[in-house]
Amino acid sequence: MLTVGLDVGSTTIKAVAVRDAAPVWQDYQRHNTKQAEMVLEFLARMEADCGLTPERDRLFLTGSGAGLIAPLVGGKFIQEVVAVSAAVEKLHPEVHFVSEIGGEDMKTLFFTPSGDGKSKQVYMQSACSGGTGTFIEKTARKLQIATEQLAQMPYANMTLHKISSKCGIFAETDANTLVKSGVPVEEIIASLFEAVVYQNLATLTKGNTPMPRVLLLGGPNLFFAGLQQAWRHHLHKLWTERKIALPEGAAPEDMIEVPSEALYYACLGCIEIGAGEAPGVGAYLGPDKLRWWIEEGQHEEKARDGAKGLSGDHAELQHFMHCYGEANASVVAPQARVAGPVIVGCDFGSTTAKAVVMSAERELLGSCYVPSNGNPIEDAKAILREIRGAGFENIAALGITGYGKDLLKDIVGADMAIVETVAHATAALHYFPDADVICDVGGCDVKIMILRQGTVSDFRLNSQCSSGNGAFLQGVAERYGVPLEEYADRAFEARAIPALAMGCGVFLQSDIVNQQRKGWSREEIMASLAAVLPLNVWVYAGQLQNLAAAGRKFVLQGGTHRNLAVVKAQVDFIRQKVPDAEIVVHPYSGEAGAIGAALCAIDWSARGEASRFRGYDLIESLEFTSTTNAQTTCNWCTVNCKRTFIDVRMPGGAGRAWSKVPLAEGWERVISGNSCPKGLLEDANEMKVVKETLEEAKRAYPNIAELVREDAFRASKATV
Amino acid sequence: MLNQWSTHQFWIGFLGALGIEARRIEFSGDTSEDQARQFAKGRGTVDCCYPVKCVSGHYGELLANKKRKIDILLSPMVYSLPSMLQGHVAASLACPRVMAAAENIKAGFLKERDSFGELDVRYVAPLINFDDRPLVPRQLHAALKDVIPGLTEKETAHAVDEGFRTLDAYTRSLRRKAREILEWCARENRSCLLVLARPYHMDPGIGHEIEVDLQAYGYPVLWAQYLPMDDDLMQWMFGAEIAAGQIKSPFDISDVWPSSYSANTNEILWGAKVAARMPWVSCVVRLSSYECGMDQPTYSPVQQIVERTGTLYFSFQDLDSTKPAGSVKIRVETIAHYLDKYAAQIVEKKKAAGAPDCPLLTA
Repeated sequence: MLTVGLDVGSTTIKAVAVRDAAPVWQDYQRHNTKQAEMVLEFLARMEADCGLTPERDRLFLTGSGAGLIAPLVGGKFIQEVVAVSAAVEKLHPEVHFVSEIGGEDMKTLFFTPSGDGKSKQVYMQSACSGGTGTFIEKTARKLQIATEQLAQMPYANMTLHKISSKCGIFAETDANTLVKSGVPVEEIIASLFEAVVYQNLATLTKGNTPMPRVLLLGGPNLFFAGLQQAWRHHLHKLWTERKIALPEGAAPEDMIEVPSEALYYACLGCIEIGAGEAPGVGAYLGPDKLRWWIEEGQHEEKARDGAKGLSGDHAELQHFMHCYGEANASVVAPQARVAGPVIVGCDFGSTTAKAVVMSAERELLGSCYVPSNGNPIEDAKAILREIRGAGFENIAALGITGYGKDLLKDIVGADMAIVETVAHATAALHYFPDADVICDVGGCDVKIMILRQGTVSDFRLNSQCSSGNGAFLQGVAERYGVPLEEYADRAFEARAIPALAMGCGVFLQSDIVNQQRKGWSREEIMASLAAVLPLNVWVYAGQLQNLAAAGRKFVLQGGTHRNLAVVKAQVDFIRQKVPDAEIVVHPYSGEAGAIGAALCAIDWSARGEASRFRGYDLIESLEFTSTTNAQTTCNWCTVNCKRTFIDVRMPGGAGRAWSKVPLAEGWERVISGNSCPKGLLEDANEMKVVKETLEEAKRAYPNIAELVREDAFRASKATV
Repeated sequence: MLNQWSTHQFWIGFLGALGIEARRIEFSGDTSEDQARQFAKGRGTVDCCYPVKCVSGHYGELLANKKRKIDILLSPMVYSLPSMLQGHVAASLACPRVMAAAENIKAGFLKERDSFGELDVRYVAPLINFDDRPLVPRQLHAALKDVIPGLTEKETAHAVDEGFRTLDAYTRSLRRKAREILEWCARENRSCLLVLARPYHMDPGIGHEIEVDLQAYGYPVLWAQYLPMDDDLMQWMFGAEIAAGQIKSPFDISDVWPSSYSANTNEILWGAKVAARMPWVSCVVRLSSYECGMDQPTYSPVQQIVERTGTLYFSFQDLDSTKPAGSVKIRVETIAHYLDKYAAQIVEKKKAAGAPDCPLLTA
C-alpha cells in the first residue's frame, strides 16, 4: 500500500510517496497557477511510476490549494503548519525553531520544552509579499538574474543597501533606484536576503527567541545560498547578544540546518500524520473527479462566485455615460500662433513631462507632452522645444512642478517651483471651486488630497504599498493586447465579474491568473480589476476609511481616470459610502499638474515682475555633463547614495573649485540621485554653510519642542 | 519615552532630593528605528499602539548599556498626569494603553528568561496618580522602599515636593518662552505655528520632527502643552465668553469637549481653542500616531474649532516607524506655500475679530 503526501502550494506542487515507510517516489514542480492540472499530472505519473491505485492507496494533502483538491481526489486535508510540525517533531526532535518560507507565505514554528513534552507556537502570514519567496524572485526577474545564478549569489561580506522589506513592488522600485545609481546587482540581491530575514524576524517571532537548533525549510531557504547565509548571520548575532549557550564544542554553523529534503517536510508530515489515521481514511478516488472539475466543475463554480457586472444594467450604463462619457475633454491641440505673451506650466513626472500654455485670462491655449528619459534637463529641453514648435514665442511667466522642479528652477529660469499637491489642488479648484477631495491616480502612485479653506489640509501619498495604482491596469491591458483607450468599452461588456481580493498587487497578479483559469474572460477580468481599484485606492493605499468625513464633492484626476471603467467603479464606490456625493472627473485629467503650475505662475505674474525665463535659445544650447562615480557618492550616512552630479554651463556660474569633482567658473552643479535633502549637499564644506543658516533660522524662530528635547532630560537651569 | 515627556523634570527633582543626582539617572534615548532593530528585536508586543511598541527598544537599550550599567529600571505606570487644566476638567487620566505599557513590555523581557534578573537590574513600575499630589509619596514609597533600603515616608514626601517644584518651574519657564515668542510675533506682525499632539510626539522617533522642517521656513513653533496661561492673556482671549456664561473659566473646555477625562486629549482641545483665538497662530499642525484610539474622536472637533476662525489646519495622521520622508517633504512644502500665501491675511482677519488691546502688543 502506498501513502502519498501531497503539498499543493501557492507556486509549486510537491509530493512524496512511501511504501512500508520507504520512500519510493518524490517530485516537485512549479504549477504556474495551474494547481489542479499539475496535481492531475502528478497523480498520473505516480500511477504509472509506482502503481498508485484507487481505493487501495491513501492520499494526504496539505498547502493553500489542498482544501479544494482533497475532496476531489478522496484525500484527507491536513493543515500545513500541522503537517510541517509533525515532520519536524519526528525527524528533528532536537530542533527548537523552524522557519519555512514559501512562494507566497512564511511561517515560523517554536518548539519549547514544557513539562514532559513540548509546547508549540506557530505563526504564519500569507497576506503580503514582504518576507516571502516571491519578494526575492520578483526583483531578481526584473534584474534579469537567472534562477540558477540567484541560487548561488552570496550574502556574506556584501555591502547592504536599504530596501523596503514590507512590499515586493516597492522593493522592486528600491532595487531600480539602486541599479540606476550604479549599485552592483550582487549587493542588491544580498540586500533582498537581508530584507526577507528581517521581515521574518520582525513580524513572525512575536516575543520568542529562535533558539538553537534551527531548521530552515521551504524552497527559498533551500535554494538560495545567500538567504541561508543571512539567517546564519542574524541568528548568530541574536544568540551572542542574548547569551544563548550552544552545546559544548558546537559551532554556531552546526546549529542551523537546511535538510536536503527541505521542500518536502509538509509532505513528510502528511505521511506521518496519515500513518496514525484509521484505515480507509484518505483513500484515493482516482483522477476522474479532479479531471471533471478541471474541465467543467470550475467553470460552473465561476457562475456562482461572480458579482454583478461593472456596468450594471443598460439604463444604469446609459445614465453613467450620459454623465461621464464626455467628461474627459481631449487634450487641447495647440492653437494657431499666439503673438501675445502666454503663461506656461510644466509638470515633470516620472514617466512623462507635460506642459500647458494659458493666457493671462486663464484660458487653456494648448498642451503637449514628451516621454521622460530620466534626465530632467533633457526633459526640460524637449518639452520647451515642443512649446516653441507650437508657436508660443513670448513667455510671460513659467511655473514648474513635479520631481525635477527644484533642480530645474534656476536652470530654466522658472518663476515658480510649485509642490505637486498645490499644483493639483489649484487646478481642481479652478474648475471646481467647491471641491472637497481630490483623488489623483497616476501610473505609479496614488495621491488623495483633502481640501479645506482653499488649501490642502490632509494629504495621503501611498508610500508603504503599491496597491491601487494605474500601472497595474495598464500592464494587464497590454498583456491582453487591448489598447488602453478600449479598456472601458471592453470592461463594460462584462455581465458578471470575478471577485478579486483587495490588497497586495503582487498577489493580485496570481489571483488574476487563477480567475482566468476558472474561465473568466479577459473582459470580465478587466472589469473586475477596475472594480477593485477604488477599494485599493481609498482603503488599502489611502488608509481612508471614512469618506464622508472627507467631504462630498470629489474630483477624480490623474491619467488613470481617463479610463471610464475606473471612473464607473469610483462613482459606484464613493456613492456607496457617501450617498449624496458629487463626483466629477477633472476635464484635463492628465494635465492637472501642469495647469496648476500655470495658474500659480499667472498669480505670480500678476505682481508685475519680469519673468526669469532664460529663453528658448539659451536652454536649447544648454551644455551639460553628468558624473556618477565614487567621488559623487554621498557619505552623509550609511546609505551611501550613488549620486549623479549634473553640471550645466551657465553664464555667471560660480563653479566649485573646492569640490572633489572640481567645477570651473561658468558652470553650475545640480545633484540628483540623492534620497534625502542632505544629499543635495556635496560635502562637509557645503554642509557647514547650510547648517549655520539653518541653525540661525532655528535661533530666530524657536520651537518649544526643541527646547524640551534639549533640556527636559537633564538637571534644569530653570530650577536653580 | 511616552509619559516621561510630561514628567521628565519631576523625576530629576524627585531622585535628586533622594541623593541620586542627574548624572546617575540614565534616560533612554530618543525612539528610533535603529533602537528598535538593535535592542527590541523579537521582543514584540501585541499592542497596536506604535509608541507603546517602541518601549521594548527603550528597555533593551537601557539594559544593554555597558558603560553606565543601570541598577534600577524605573518605568512608572502613570495613571493620571499633571495637567494645567486640572480642576477645570473631569479628570486628567493618562492613556490606559500607555500606562499599561510598563506591564505589557516587561512581559516580553520575562517571557523566556528574567532579562532583568540576569543583569542584576531591579524593575520598578509604580502606579502613580500625578493629579492627586498627596497620594504620590505613598505610592512611590511603597514602590521604592525595597530597592532603596532605609527610605522613609518623610524623605519620600520631601522628594515628591521637590519633584513637583522642579517640574512646575520647568513648565513655567517654557510657558514664559512661549509668551516671548507670541510677543515677538505680535510686535513684528509675524505668524507662528501651533502643534497639537501628545507630549511624546516631541520624541523624534514618534513625531519625526515634522515641525522642525516648518521651523526652517521661518515660523516659530508652539506646542499646546506649553502655552502661556497668564491672567491678562486668558482674560483677553476668554473674558467675554466667561462673562456671557458660556464657560466657567479660561480652562473650561466643556463647551467643546464634555467628556474631559483624558489629560492629553483635554490639552489638545484647549490648544485648539487657543489657536482659534490667537491672531498670530495662523496655522495648526496636528500629529497623531497610527490608529490612535484616543485621538480618533478628536479629529473632527479639533479641526472644526481651529478652522472656525479661518486658521489653517494640517494634519499628519497614522505616523509610525518610518518617517514618510517623501510625503512629509511634499506636505511641508504644501503648508509653506499656503502659509506664504495666506498667513498675513489670516493674522489680520483674526486680529480684527478678537478683542481690542491684546496684552501681547502692550508688553
